[in-house]
Amino acid sequence: MAYAYLFKYIIIGDTGVGKSCLLLQFTDKRFQPVHDLTIGVEFGARMITIDGKQIKLQIWDTAGQESFRSITRSYYRGAAGALLVYDITRRDTFNHLTTWLEDARQHSNSNMVIMLIGNKSDLESRREVKKEEGEAFAREHGLIFMETSAKTASNVEEAFINTAKEIYEKIQEGVFDINNEANGIKIGPQHPTTNSTLSSSQGGHQAGGGCC
Amino acid sequence: MLTRVRSAVVNFMGGVMAGGSNGDHPGGSDLPLKFPYSRPEFLGLSPDEIECSADHIARPILILKETRRLPWATGYAEVINAGKSILNEDQACCEVLVVKKKPPGGSAPSRVNMTRRRSSLPNGEDLTLRDNLDGSEDLTFHYWALFDGHAGSGAAVVASRLLHHHVALHLQEVMEILCTPNLPPPTCLEEEPVNHLLTTTSNRALTRAASLRGAAGAPGSPNTPPTRFFTEKKVSQESLVIGAIENAFKDMDVQIEKDKATYDISGGCTALMVLYLQGNLYVGNAGDSRAIIIRAGEVIPVSAEFTPESERQRLQFLAYMQPHLLGNEFTHLEFPRRVQRKEVGKKMLYRDFTMSGWAYKTIDEDDLKFPLIYGEGKKARVLATIGVTRGLGDHNLKVHDSNIYIKPFLSCCPEVKVYPLSQWEHKADDVLVMGTDGLWDVLSNQEVSEAVTSFLANCDADDQHRYTMAAQDLIMRARGVLKDRGWRISNDRLGSGDDISVFIIPLMYANKQN
Repeated sequence: MAYAYLFKYIIIGDTGVGKSCLLLQFTDKRFQPVHDLTIGVEFGARMITIDGKQIKLQIWDTAGQESFRSITRSYYRGAAGALLVYDITRRDTFNHLTTWLEDARQHSNSNMVIMLIGNKSDLESRREVKKEEGEAFAREHGLIFMETSAKTASNVEEAFINTAKEIYEKIQEGVFDINNEANGIKIGPQHPTTNSTLSSSQGGHQAGGGCC
Repeated sequence: MLTRVRSAVVNFMGGVMAGGSNGDHPGGSDLPLKFPYSRPEFLGLSPDEIECSADHIARPILILKETRRLPWATGYAEVINAGKSILNEDQACCEVLVVKKKPPGGSAPSRVNMTRRRSSLPNGEDLTLRDNLDGSEDLTFHYWALFDGHAGSGAAVVASRLLHHHVALHLQEVMEILCTPNLPPPTCLEEEPVNHLLTTTSNRALTRAASLRGAAGAPGSPNTPPTRFFTEKKVSQESLVIGAIENAFKDMDVQIEKDKATYDISGGCTALMVLYLQGNLYVGNAGDSRAIIIRAGEVIPVSAEFTPESERQRLQFLAYMQPHLLGNEFTHLEFPRRVQRKEVGKKMLYRDFTMSGWAYKTIDEDDLKFPLIYGEGKKARVLATIGVTRGLGDHNLKVHDSNIYIKPFLSCCPEVKVYPLSQWEHKADDVLVMGTDGLWDVLSNQEVSEAVTSFLANCDADDQHRYTMAAQDLIMRARGVLKDRGWRISNDRLGSGDDISVFIIPLMYANKQN
């Protein structure tokens, strides 16, 4: 249960690209071919280990439909990582990435780590977007990139964990102010025995938390 | 500074949840919780999801999942406050209940013989229908309720789990009478009401005989003088249901008080409940939540709020009759502002419990005390402490730094209004909207009506989830979007920073069922 850090993620992208399926594959290790339309936000969580530390990922899975855009837009706030997903078998979902990216950049904190994901890599025969195109888009906009399959679970673990590693590195570099929860990072409940491994800034937090 | 405090609060929240503890006021009480803090049962959220929902920064709008269904395809959505309390202090409940006849012969009040239906069953409607057909002895009612907690989430959680059981118990007491719809309720019951009611052929004779022998008084009014049949008051079936609801609220409040001896039940809560029984909607309200019906785009208010301002005269009268409740620190009179010492001897505007208008009085020493009711609108407070005058709980609430209890001024008695649902044809877009004050503080009845009507008009009429999406849309309109200067809604007005909960109940399903 105890974790050193909690990272908040948000999954965004067009409707039907497999956002909910990616989440389910990551949290429950299963694939559900027919999934109800997400009509607002749904949540998932899983514990991972990075650098020997327990990290809890809190994942917000948002509706892709245009009509819910005003609602989902408000969920970017306080996210440390975003998975921006398109469907490699549907060119239009790739074409919309710019709009998604603008939205994300405008409504999130500037340090948010964005992972670009080309999903449904198992459907090679129906591919409409080349892997190189995804890589080029990611390079151009400074994103990390992976192709995944929520169905076969290919690269799903890696997508979530690599994003977490990137956030973790940024914390080590001091890029994130971990005491400002608007950055999507929380420090776990503290135990005296583990205090020695934590940096001094967290001691300050503990005092702050204790006063209320 | 404010941000730092809030940051600490939110971080603490994460710690509390992760640690598996559910207390919402650390160090407050050593007693166990009667029910752990949670979100409404029908949402079916995991502990992780509950933790996510308590995000005061992004304020996610929680909705009924597509895989879950409420009776009548009821829609529901909620959002947590912007940081005023760690937990969401609103609670909600939605159930279909079947009241069974009391086992015969049992004179002691037996446990209520009641079946609770899984409200999340996809085919809940069919079940109800079937039960009504083969179980004519059973009494089925639909129940929706919202609770808005303050000074802790405990009372709201307890009330959301238990109030419907109290309603069911009281309906069970009179279910024989309610199941014989064409009979007026007898004034006095025989000792075995079940048998008499079912076997007597001349019911008028029974009523008269009963009332003639009713010299000892009817139940509930033991001190009434002997009644004569020709002056007998006619009591309707509906008023029996209203009485059952009123007594259920009273019992709920008494139970919270008793349970506080063994459990940690923090704070108090308002309660707004809607009950559907035998063609009528009963709307019981104790507090400042609100319900309206939208029928063909027209707004029909079905509840009224109880606030220091709306209940001023009742409170002033109580304080006038029992001045010790004011602890020599407050005055029951109202003045437009605090009276200053230098104004003693001058004449100032005031009003007493007998007045709705204003007059002048000569100021004396006593008028320098703090007014019982002070402030305007949402800032109006009783005894400088509380902004709502009816509800459940609050038994230990005192004026800050004093020994003056607030509870005597609070009433747990709901006002119950009846809407004859079956007498109207309702279309798919005709709904009842129930919301806690977070909604109504920022949106008017008209704005809510227009928003819901236009939203539903743009949905697929066969989509059972449209009412939940409409509820989500309403919450979005009331919460708004976080800008540099706080949460903002349309026309740059301030959005609600309060917990907001909304039920949208389509009304056409009632008639389809009968």
